[in-house]
Amino acid sequence: MLVAESLTKTFGPRVAVERVSFDVRAGEIFALVGPNGAGKTTTLRMLAGLIAPSSGAVRYGGQGIGFLTEAPGLWDRLTVRQNLNVYARLHGLPQPARAVDAAMDLFGITERAGELTAVLSKGLRQRVALARALLHDPKAVLLDEPTSGLDPESARDVRELIVRLRHERRAVLISTHNLDEVDRLADRVALLNTRLVALDTPQSLRARAFAARVRIRFAGPAEAHAGTLRAVGVDDMQLDGDTVSLAPAGGLRTPDLIRTLVDAGADIEAVEPEEPSLEQVYLRLLNGPPEVNGPPEGGPHVRQGGGS
Amino acid sequence: MSWSRVSALVGKELADLRGRPGLLFPALFTGAIATFMPVFVAVLVPAFSGERLADSSDFQIALELYRQQPWARALEPEAAIQAALFQQFLVLLVLSPVAAAMSIAASSVVGEKQARTLEPLLATPLTTFELLIAKILGAFLPALALSFACFSVYLAAAALLAQPGVARALFTARPIGVLFLMGPMASLTALTLAVCVSSRVNDARSAQQLAVLVVLPITGLLVAQIAVGFVVTMPIILLITGGLAAINAGLIRLGVSLFDRETILTRWK
Repeated sequence: MLVAESLTKTFGPRVAVERVSFDVRAGEIFALVGPNGAGKTTTLRMLAGLIAPSSGAVRYGGQGIGFLTEAPGLWDRLTVRQNLNVYARLHGLPQPARAVDAAMDLFGITERAGELTAVLSKGLRQRVALARALLHDPKAVLLDEPTSGLDPESARDVRELIVRLRHERRAVLISTHNLDEVDRLADRVALLNTRLVALDTPQSLRARAFAARVRIRFAGPAEAHAGTLRAVGVDDMQLDGDTVSLAPAGGLRTPDLIRTLVDAGADIEAVEPEEPSLEQVYLRLLNGPPEVNGPPEGGPHVRQGGGS
Repeated sequence: MSWSRVSALVGKELADLRGRPGLLFPALFTGAIATFMPVFVAVLVPAFSGERLADSSDFQIALELYRQQPWARALEPEAAIQAALFQQFLVLLVLSPVAAAMSIAASSVVGEKQARTLEPLLATPLTTFELLIAKILGAFLPALALSFACFSVYLAAAALLAQPGVARALFTARPIGVLFLMGPMASLTALTLAVCVSSRVNDARSAQQLAVLVVLPITGLLVAQIAVGFVVTMPIILLITGGLAAINAGLIRLGVSLFDRETILTRWK
């Protein structure tokens, strides 16, 4: 649907984005994450056609891209309806008034149509901005920090709207610092730091960045079973009271490990897979130093999962 | 160019202006001064001093000059001088739309940038040329309306306070040319300059300071009329209007080429 082909952008001697390639598919939420100055907004601007890439190209199989800028960018002295009406006309919609009514209805802002946008809450302003970005029914939508600065309730509302975009089979690209949000929403994640550091599903990124880990809670001190674990080849373990966090190594399966512990007299109360947060994955991939125990499996990994 | 997009943005500019009428205060002030000046010089001073203008040697040159004009031949000497003064000060009235245009246009592009409304606007199919034309028209139309409103007051003042025939003298080719040709074109030049500058600077004040330079030639024209008896005739008006139109066309082309979206989006803070 929307393809970035080896996009590079330089501002004078500074390289903002270097050879970044990815595709965003219809019905997919694709997250672009990275530190400040990593080139996320520059990439979005290139995709939206606001600035030209220094090299590389953008391919898009639809008409018009919806772009939610980092700031809502509403005209404060105009009402909600007036704001949307101007954009409906700028996009050349055949029936601008009808399109505005439909958008306001879709985003639940019809009751506020006559209010100046200056008096709206941040959450409502973001809704209006989203309605504006979708007025011309684009098949691809770029959302720059869509929940930044919103209270939890407003952020949840916006997230629900984003999920709705996926159900409508739109290609959705969000740029965000909110990794929890990425975890909840994104089908695939691209980690950008001028270059593309990693691209995959959140689960695959976890697997790439960290070895699979298991947390076992014993009826007594975990220290008592450390010897048994070492005997079966488990070197990477972290003991904490009655709990041990470990990475089974050498092809050892978790059921076999548990069986061995039980045979050795361990009273096991709980066994659960330990999943690193996306933030830990992000930091691991970006900076290298481990946030949780366990060595990284290989270096930064870029994988273009399939193609559009 | 899509006039539909231009008119959409002009409509937004006018709606936005309704929310900040203070932008028109400088123009209203200039218009009030321009209206009051001829009333003061041609009507109030003679009335309070008890000395007729026609009896003063200071106005004999004006009387001689204007007696040569067809419209002035039928007027009494006092009315002819008053008509001459009302016509001369009409150039000052041209400054009021310029002042209005300036304050509106100077904040046009840079105002959008400061309010962070420019980026979503540039993400639409709107071209740079359409954006600049809409910004210019959005400032020009209220300025023009204001200028006509000021002229109505000017006419009313002449009709009510001056000698008979003075108001009618303002409906001759020269004043009409000043007001409907030279004035609008001068304000177009001012605001085109202001919009162009507004797209290159980081704050509205800088734009206003640079664009205000267009006032200088108009002020010079006024000084020349009063100080050396220079008469702005119809050919001169047409010449100035034509010159300004050419300058405007060049300025708009220059504005489009100077409008660097990338710099505006990425370097303005």
